[in-house]
Amino acid sequence: MTSLIRDPLLWILLVVLIAAAFAVMRARRTNLALRRTRKDLESDLGQAQGQLAQQQGYIATLNAQHQGDLADVRADAESSTKAVLKSAMGTLQSLAEEQQLLLDGLLKKYGNDSEVLADLMSVDHTGSQFSRRAKGISVLCGGWLGRRDGTASVYDVARSAQGRIRDFDRVGIHAQVSVSVSAKAVEPVAVVLAELLDNATTYSAPGTPVEVNIQAVPTGVCFIVDDAGLGMDQETKDRAATLLSSDNEVDITALGDPPRFGFAVCGMLATRYGFSVSVGSVSPYGGVRAVIRVPESLLAADAPAPAEPVQEAVSQEAAPQRLTPVPVGPSHVVGRTNGGLPKRRRRQGPISVVPSPDDTAGVDEQTSEPASEVTASRLGAFARGTQLGRITNTMEGPDQQ
Amino acid sequence: MTAPGEEGSVSSDFVRSYVITGGRSLPSSDDLALHTLVTLAPERTLPLGAGPEVTAIWDLCAGGYLSVAEVAGHLGLPVGVARLLLTDLFEQGHLLHRAEPPRAQNVDRATLEKVLHGLQSLIS
Repeated sequence: MTSLIRDPLLWILLVVLIAAAFAVMRARRTNLALRRTRKDLESDLGQAQGQLAQQQGYIATLNAQHQGDLADVRADAESSTKAVLKSAMGTLQSLAEEQQLLLDGLLKKYGNDSEVLADLMSVDHTGSQFSRRAKGISVLCGGWLGRRDGTASVYDVARSAQGRIRDFDRVGIHAQVSVSVSAKAVEPVAVVLAELLDNATTYSAPGTPVEVNIQAVPTGVCFIVDDAGLGMDQETKDRAATLLSSDNEVDITALGDPPRFGFAVCGMLATRYGFSVSVGSVSPYGGVRAVIRVPESLLAADAPAPAEPVQEAVSQEAAPQRLTPVPVGPSHVVGRTNGGLPKRRRRQGPISVVPSPDDTAGVDEQTSEPASEVTASRLGAFARGTQLGRITNTMEGPDQQ
Repeated sequence: MTAPGEEGSVSSDFVRSYVITGGRSLPSSDDLALHTLVTLAPERTLPLGAGPEVTAIWDLCAGGYLSVAEVAGHLGLPVGVARLLLTDLFEQGHLLHRAEPPRAQNVDRATLEKVLHGLQSLIS
């Protein structure tokens, strides 16, 4: 036994054992502690994840709110920009209209001086183009387009549109029909046609023709614009189709720089007034064919254009008084007398203007009335003629209109 | 200014005169004077594709001689524009024109009296 006790190995073993026991206990404690910590950490993690999810939800809400606010601000900015532009363009439109009226007066006033007239016309041309731009922007901003009082024939609508673009002399108009466009549609159709013509002349080579054909179709009238350009690529076609068919508001900030608002203007006007515009088919010349189809509801029931009946009325009312006295056939000056007076060919009826006695006997009041007027006008003309010879022609002005 | 949503009225000429002339240069005043009388040449038919202005001139001049100024007045066009249209028709042979009537000369009183008496005897 003693030997055993004295055996150092045993002691060493004992010490080792004790140390091992301690170590095991310690490890166990540490293990326990670690487990506890882990559990704590896991629960913390769960909590943190919960919080994270909450925060993410919050951020999402904030984002949505932000987006909404941003859209509101954008819409506000857009609408206030539009309001400002609309009012500014309204002023420009009125000014352009005023200028055109002024030019109408000037053209009439200086009508006999070819050079002045030509200059005035070039000013007028520039003014018309400027007016078209103003109208286009105004339309995009929800503004008004002047309204005409009367209907206008399709031919005149096309010519009016032609006058609003730069290269108007390249445009040829062929009207197969003579219908009128109703008053409210006259200006919108003219503006849309002008935009299409502007596109057609801008995107085709200078000098090539641009044709406008106006044809009746079962549902109304079509204005067909053909150019000889290179046509449109698919992207432009898609963009045009979107702008022409969309019935929502046009975002004016998205029109690019320089702004290309032609199709947008066409789309807005077509939607607003109820006609249709399409581009994208190929013209016989290989360029673009654009078609405006004006439905029956926007055409006037009566064919005659407003300008014509007025002229007709005037010419029938006023012309006969001046015209019937001289019912000339081909009676022109054939020579001169010795005194320098013009020699005229003889007319068939000797004197149709002076009623012969047997004529007046059988004829009632109605026919003799104009005849005496005729006589009076002849005598008046004679008197004026001799007066003119005696007095200087300053008398002529105020007396005759 | 027009109230919002309301359309203003447009009253200037719808078709501008440079479109009617087709951007061509206007004839100088020597071609057709204001007083030149024009009328339709006999047995002419309206050219195909004639515009409203040419048609109106056609109707106006069918009745007899009318001065250039009168034609312009009836059409409501500047005289230069009317003159251009008339010149076109003239060059195509559709119109005849003669110079303005010459100023009356100083004729002796006796002749005038004779003419006047002659006229009076015709009428009475």
